[in-house]
Amino acid sequence: MSNIYKLRLILGLLVLVGFLQVSPVKAQSDASGEKRVTGTFAITNATVFTSPGQSQQNTTIIIKNGLIDAIGPNVSIPSNAHRIAGDSLYVYPGFIDGGSSAGVSRPKDVEKPSNFNASSPPDEVAGITPYRNVLDYFDANSNQINDWRKAGFTMGQLIPEGGMLPGKTAIVVYGHKSSSNIYKENAALVATFKGSRGMYPATILGVMAKFRDLYKNSEYTSQHANLFASNPGIRRPEKNKTLEAFYGSHDGSTPIVFAVEDDLTTRRAIRLQEELGFKLILNGVSGAYPIIPQIKDSQAAVLLTLDLPEDKSSKMEDSESDDERKARIERIKEAYQARLAEAAKFHEAGIPFGFTSQGAKVGDVRKNIRLMIENGLSEEAALAALTINAAKILGIDNYAGTLEKGKLANMVIATDSIFKEDSQIKHVFADGHMFDYETTEKKKSNGNGEPADLEGRWEYSAQSPQGDSQGLLVFRKDGEDYRGEITLDNPAGSGQITSELKNISVDGSSLRFEFNIDAGGNNITFNVSGDISGNEFDGNLVVADFGSFPMRATKQPETK
Amino acid sequence: MKKIIYAIAALMCWNTVNAQTDKGSVLIKNATVLTVTNGTLEDTDILVENGVIRRIGQGLSAGNNVTTVDASGKYVMPGIIDAHSHIALDVVNEATSPITSEVWMGDVVDPYDVGIYRALAGGTTISHAMHGSANAIGGQNVTLKHRFGTHDPEDLFMKEAPRTIKFALGENPTRVHGRGNNIQPRTRMGVEAVIRNGFNEALQYKKRWADYEQASKQRNSKAIAPKYDSRLQTLVDILDGDIIIHCHSYRADEIYMLIQVCKEFGIKNIVFSHVNEGFKVAPELAEYTMGASVFADWWAYKFEVYYSTAFNAAILNQNGVLTSINSDSGELIRHLYHEAAKTQRYGGLTDDEALALITINPAKQLGIGDMVGSIEEGKQGDLVIFDNHPLSVYAIPQMTFVDGVKYFDINEDKDDQRLKVNPTELVEPIFLKEHDHKCMHDLDFLFTEAEHLFNFHNH
Repeated sequence: MSNIYKLRLILGLLVLVGFLQVSPVKAQSDASGEKRVTGTFAITNATVFTSPGQSQQNTTIIIKNGLIDAIGPNVSIPSNAHRIAGDSLYVYPGFIDGGSSAGVSRPKDVEKPSNFNASSPPDEVAGITPYRNVLDYFDANSNQINDWRKAGFTMGQLIPEGGMLPGKTAIVVYGHKSSSNIYKENAALVATFKGSRGMYPATILGVMAKFRDLYKNSEYTSQHANLFASNPGIRRPEKNKTLEAFYGSHDGSTPIVFAVEDDLTTRRAIRLQEELGFKLILNGVSGAYPIIPQIKDSQAAVLLTLDLPEDKSSKMEDSESDDERKARIERIKEAYQARLAEAAKFHEAGIPFGFTSQGAKVGDVRKNIRLMIENGLSEEAALAALTINAAKILGIDNYAGTLEKGKLANMVIATDSIFKEDSQIKHVFADGHMFDYETTEKKKSNGNGEPADLEGRWEYSAQSPQGDSQGLLVFRKDGEDYRGEITLDNPAGSGQITSELKNISVDGSSLRFEFNIDAGGNNITFNVSGDISGNEFDGNLVVADFGSFPMRATKQPETK
Repeated sequence: MKKIIYAIAALMCWNTVNAQTDKGSVLIKNATVLTVTNGTLEDTDILVENGVIRRIGQGLSAGNNVTTVDASGKYVMPGIIDAHSHIALDVVNEATSPITSEVWMGDVVDPYDVGIYRALAGGTTISHAMHGSANAIGGQNVTLKHRFGTHDPEDLFMKEAPRTIKFALGENPTRVHGRGNNIQPRTRMGVEAVIRNGFNEALQYKKRWADYEQASKQRNSKAIAPKYDSRLQTLVDILDGDIIIHCHSYRADEIYMLIQVCKEFGIKNIVFSHVNEGFKVAPELAEYTMGASVFADWWAYKFEVYYSTAFNAAILNQNGVLTSINSDSGELIRHLYHEAAKTQRYGGLTDDEALALITINPAKQLGIGDMVGSIEEGKQGDLVIFDNHPLSVYAIPQMTFVDGVKYFDINEDKDDQRLKVNPTELVEPIFLKEHDHKCMHDLDFLFTEAEHLFNFHNH
């Protein structure tokens, strides 16, 4: 065999081997097959809400490099653009979550030292960890991020979990998993009124006092450090990462996000702000409508909760004979209505509030916003709260919050005006990446009054990281309400267990219920919410602190 | 140091420039007026203008816009003052450290507590909202005027009242810290040591800041501020006479001990609370303290409270101790006039002496005796109208005024006096132990294991 022949053979084999290696289906440079064909998009001929109250029809938006490249009625469409016919679609700026726990896990409890003294515990043990960075406890690929994105949220301020001073927030975009998606690290310092169980500070009393002491000492140590840096003959300042974490708050560059619950806790946060002079963001304001003037005076930024109380009063029976009970129910109704109207009250008072999703269920969010709108909040104000107001509170309004040339390509695209009950989200753009969602026609007819027929046996399957779980859901009609139970694999062993369903509610096509199971002495609550379409249920199963998992169910034919 | 004092002053009354609380005007006609400090005046009128008692006399008239109340056949007494209470508080104990002088009850006032209204319905217009008794040196208290109806906790603050602080001796601090957490104090000796050490540290702290202030005055000073510590700063304020101590105590020996400690540190402003064995050290209490605030006849709820007598208040009173009767309870606060009347059965106190136990005497113990506690021209218009003499077992309060504003009227009493309603609950949680003393609230977590040892009242 001549050398030349040999060489050709080897080359040929090499080519063949090489070909075999790259040939199967996938594009050459992307072994995963997930790389998108183009990052340029054109949404044509849509109704576009560029900012609250500003809408234009027959408008085209060009998205390029993660940014809005052009927006208007007569823009030229690049040849490489992925076209989305927006003829019947409504486009909004992507929603911004002022305070989110999505994908954020709770740091492990720090072990107590052997010489532990409950009256003066180490900061870290007592929940005083303002130096922590929430990104160290964040999973960008969490299902929760997917859920919130599906609900229209494209950016959020991540709130660390923990005690009285859990750490610093970060602002992220809910973009593609290939990116870190981080916009701002250490954006704000988080404070809560949570005491540390069994050690100092254990109660709000101690937390308020401790906060004051920490803040004031941080001012003194900062002065000391400055003095040391610029003068000889100064004793060395003691390094203290807790106090250093406050330094950005002294000049307002790092605001303090205070977790509040009601009017009294809101007042407490404002009291600390007025005494100490930091920039305050109130996170989770609810039931604080009686003190709107005080909140306004304080100039604190307001993040209202997206959670609303359940409507229990309408189901309470008022007996004809019992006037006292009747009057009591009337007061509960008033209190409930006042909560629904709270957002409108803040808007009327001229407070440009945003929303926080902390404590809210993703499945309820759009319903809750509709309730706020039904109770006096204008659609314009609702959209502002979801977009530009939150952007301003987070200090990201120069690149997010509205649809403008040069801003981030974050947007929500819906089948109808977003605040209508029948409107469904079809696409969400986050960081220039498109996420598609199934929309259904049936939903519309169902939403028009025909309540879904729940009664019967449903076979469900739920996905979880541990694998799929199957079982049976049974619903029975009980007067106006439903009762039911779920069978599931026994988490503590073999076989199946049954748990009663609680708080079953059917609203048009949407279904929600809860159930509890006992896992090794811990009572775990599962929240299920989703939509029924004919004999199919499609929703999510949410386990607090664990995450959200897709759940589907199919109704079984009646067996006589 | 000055800066710190300003900071503290700002902290404690930071909002004095804010909206004023309501001040009312009212003319009460033809009443039997129990002035407490100036005897009983028959058929007398009281004119309150803008919250202040302007005139006491007969045949008084007021402008057309002033409400007139005809109190013929009725009795008017000063608003009742409770020198030891825990109503209207979200939290009572920060029980995690033997000294927590940095915490302040003003931070946790709950203006929605219906207990305030119930107290008004019992004629009580002022309560001393105290920290609990878990710590040797507890938190700073706040004196509340019962201006029920406001959403703003600060509207309840009696801002002109001086600062006060809770101390506690005996079983509570030794149980919580010694037995519960295995730290000092485990014994009564330990309680004394904790208090002494606290004051000694405070003296050092005071010096550190004085030195710093001195150094800061030099030109081009490079002085470095010492560590700021509101716990020690509060103790400094006690030593400087700016804060009145109200000390939970039962036994004579420990009462005597704290008197000695106070003498040593030059502290004069101290009131003893509960003081069941106070009758044994009455001369010492009379000579050195701002008196004793006692129960009428409540004891035997734990070992250190067995040696007790219902004659305690009378004995203390007759020995020259400034004496008051307190409630320490959301239930007793509704009928402190009954509690005061018990001293007539046990000790034969006069009407004025008995009434003083729940009016001018607690007022003096709270440092507000020149403003409230008796019916005198120039004092604040805190008044209660009774249908019978308040020391009668048949007495029922009819109307209660704070600063001349009527906050309770038995004829306008609604079924539901709540200010705030839960939007989802038909039956809001009810605390069945409301009648128990709240001194040891918020401590449950400390006793999960040893609960069976302490299964009795905790005050």
